[in-house]
Amino acid sequence: MIRLEHVTKYFRTPYGKKYLLKNVSFIIPEGVNVGIFGRNGAGKSTLMRMLGRIEFPNQGKIISNNSFSWPLGLSGGFQGDMTGRANVKFVCRIYGKNRDEIDKALEFVKSFSELGDYFDMPIKTYSSGMKSRLSFGLSLAFDFDYLLIDETLSVGDKRFKKKSKDALLKKIESCSVLLVSHDMNTLRDICDVGIVLDNAKLYFYDNIKDAIKMYNNINS
Amino acid sequence: MRVRSSWEIQKSVIYALFLREVNVRFSAGKIGYIWIFLEPLLQIFIFVSVKILLFGKRSNFDYAVFITVGFIAYNLFRHIVNNSMSAFKSNKALFAYKQVKPIDTLIARLLVEIMITGVISFIFIGVGFYFNYDMHPENLGMVLLTIVWLIMFAFGFGLMVSVIGFFFTSFTKVVKLAMMPLMFISAIFYTLADLPPSASKLLSINPLVHFMELIHASYFYSITDEFVNYTYMLLWSTIPLYIGLRLYIRLSKAIVSQ
Repeated sequence: MIRLEHVTKYFRTPYGKKYLLKNVSFIIPEGVNVGIFGRNGAGKSTLMRMLGRIEFPNQGKIISNNSFSWPLGLSGGFQGDMTGRANVKFVCRIYGKNRDEIDKALEFVKSFSELGDYFDMPIKTYSSGMKSRLSFGLSLAFDFDYLLIDETLSVGDKRFKKKSKDALLKKIESCSVLLVSHDMNTLRDICDVGIVLDNAKLYFYDNIKDAIKMYNNINS
Repeated sequence: MRVRSSWEIQKSVIYALFLREVNVRFSAGKIGYIWIFLEPLLQIFIFVSVKILLFGKRSNFDYAVFITVGFIAYNLFRHIVNNSMSAFKSNKALFAYKQVKPIDTLIARLLVEIMITGVISFIFIGVGFYFNYDMHPENLGMVLLTIVWLIMFAFGFGLMVSVIGFFFTSFTKVVKLAMMPLMFISAIFYTLADLPPSASKLLSINPLVHFMELIHASYFYSITDEFVNYTYMLLWSTIPLYIGLRLYIRLSKAIVSQ
């Protein structure tokens, strides 16, 4: 369960405060997969970053007893001068994995991400598709209560997209996912409920189809 | 997932960052390895040669040892401060993991510098003994204590300037500029007693001078520690640390989110 209590989030800009959330309180129930909708700049990624505890509300609180992944975004949480392998090792270490577990994770991520030789090359040589493959593969090596996925599934070629989707469908048998995507089919297949962000307000829908309908309304 | 204590998490983060720093610094194809030894070697060689050429060999202590000690301590200070200033920016992407706090990157870099200085000291002392230099400090305890004190000073100062510098890039540039002449005004290859009183008074403003004089005086009893002002050292090793920590507590979230 995730509880937002009077959460306000804004960014200071030269043109004044830009509100992404204004005094929002609501509860995401246990065990549902959530699709997050909103136009560009509506604050989807910021919401993900707040849930991942690397961005903080200006007012209010986000309360949860669950474990969250880092936000799997396009920018990635990867340091460009490190190799894919070094990055995987790094993340395993900060999560307290021991040597055997690290070796297992390395093997898994290497084969899942299909990076081949690139696995031992610096991340800055990767394309954005390769980065998200690594990022997604890495997140599968951990057992979180919630996976925070920000657009990562929308990149990559068709075959890999299908592979990720299948892997995700299998993964959500044991965990929940908060998913930002512009691919309505993926959202419909994976998510149970939907959140629409619009004008610093947050609308919750019990049914993902209603959320999609609402989102289409905003966009039209 | 298993719930870990904050201390456990921080320990594993610092360890992971430490390995990453070592890896980046010494990765193949870089002259990192060589430079670590070459830098102090060149410094010592140049200043010993200059001294012998200008003033001859006579001295009541071993000048080469004197200079080696000075440069090792000076490099330790300079590297800690310089590496602190770039730590947040060069680890920014890793703040995507909530376990990684900005101060952990400073601690990891501090540990790398301490390790490198330890290794270098051992090698230089070993080489010194091999060539029959008297590398033995007359008051080892005091030398080590002063080094620890110097590390505390460097860390506090580095923390303060790195937090301020993260938000004001020009501040970092000013500090870097101010650090440039440090090699010549820090009593590394001379003692304050050698200088005219007006000059030694002026140089005493530089806190690093006091640390250097204390290390030298503890290494050789023939060098006086009359210029060392312990209160001044204490102020410089606590006030920046205090300001740095206060600013860090206020601003660490902003550093993570930026």
